[in-house]
Amino acid sequence: MSKALKSFSFAIIMGIVCSLLLTTASTGLRRYQQRNIRIDRQKNILQAAGLWDDSQPAAVGDIENLFDESLQTLFLDHTGRIVSETDRKPEDLPIWLYTEGDLVKAYVVPIDTSGLWGKIHGYLAFEADGVTVRGFTVFKHSETPGLGGEIEKRWFQKNFVGKKVVNAEGDFVSIGVAKGVVEKMVPEEKQENYVDGISGATLTGKYLTEGLADILRDYEPVAIKFRRNQCGKVTLCQ
Amino acid sequence: MKLTRTPSYKAISGALWDSNPISKQILGICSALAVTVQLKTALVMSLALIFVVAFSNLSISVLRNQIPRNIRIIVEVAVIATLVILADEFLKAFMYDVSKQLSVFVGLIITNCIVMGRAETFAMANPPGRSFVDGIANGIGYGSILMGVAFFRELLGSGKLFGFQVIPQSFYQSGYENMGLMVLAPGAFIMIGLFVWLEHTLLKD
Repeated sequence: MSKALKSFSFAIIMGIVCSLLLTTASTGLRRYQQRNIRIDRQKNILQAAGLWDDSQPAAVGDIENLFDESLQTLFLDHTGRIVSETDRKPEDLPIWLYTEGDLVKAYVVPIDTSGLWGKIHGYLAFEADGVTVRGFTVFKHSETPGLGGEIEKRWFQKNFVGKKVVNAEGDFVSIGVAKGVVEKMVPEEKQENYVDGISGATLTGKYLTEGLADILRDYEPVAIKFRRNQCGKVTLCQ
Repeated sequence: MKLTRTPSYKAISGALWDSNPISKQILGICSALAVTVQLKTALVMSLALIFVVAFSNLSISVLRNQIPRNIRIIVEVAVIATLVILADEFLKAFMYDVSKQLSVFVGLIITNCIVMGRAETFAMANPPGRSFVDGIANGIGYGSILMGVAFFRELLGSGKLFGFQVIPQSFYQSGYENMGLMVLAPGAFIMIGLFVWLEHTLLKD
């Protein structure tokens, strides 16, 4: 056998063996990985809604139970009506309601937007007044570690708590990331609509601001209902 | 033959001390800076690296007489990459939180010079058993520095060890503060520098 042919056949056999190994591992472990991803998302939704906090370690089962007990996964059609999984149309948007009895305490919306290097995935939770932010989390992003990557840190996410999506007149203005510290950079009447920016991550902040505005505008129909107190109970929103 | 003269003993003691991959050869610094904020991530990273070096050395050593010389680097990289992806998949399945914290650094084991260096210089020239031992020893050599750096960074930077608070609350009340520098990459640079200095000073004597 010529030298070249030997090299070729060795490379092909090598490739087949390696790919078989990887395929086996990937298919065999997919079930566990997907469960982990699902729980990680549930954890982030709970965290945004302020029902769970990263400091105390929790068993996997606890998270699932807490999620099933306190949150309802529902969908929002374009008129602002909330429908269940079975009635949803493909274009309906997901929303999670945190309920105690039949009273709605808070709602959580998914944030999927472009960042500087890739998608930013997270959750934003609102109080039942439809105005005030209750919490914000990011569970997946590709921003630069140490700069834009700081969006995954608690210090940045905590800034969102208590901010409002409407201005003093009650008109929708969304929530923006300021260039620097809000108290210095933003006029006083707008400070409630801005969070502190991250130094060295102006573009991440800009993309997040644009993304939040687009997403929250889509959720305005239901937010208006909450503001008018038409959604205090789950049955009323439907 | 005395124990200290055997090739295996030389391979182990070399990897752990005389030519430690991090503190003597200054390899694998990138991951050593990134994953040593906490002992837990450092430990998982060390175990992943031990697994990869040991088995890449073993498989390359088994194949060393069959691997065509002209494509040997490609073959080595393919073996290493397969093992790294396997390690990454296992972490994602069973230690999801740690794997999220380690993020790209598990994948970057592929480019870690320690793994490639051992495959090329040791496994290509030595029998499987000895290569496997050499891989484990080099992994431990790397891991020991990682754990050392992580111990000081976690203790000084956040007052914890393996996530448990060890510096009592009363210290903080009387004015003690965590050292913010240790949580950042420059803290790791200084820590690794001190380890390198320590080893070089001890070796000189």
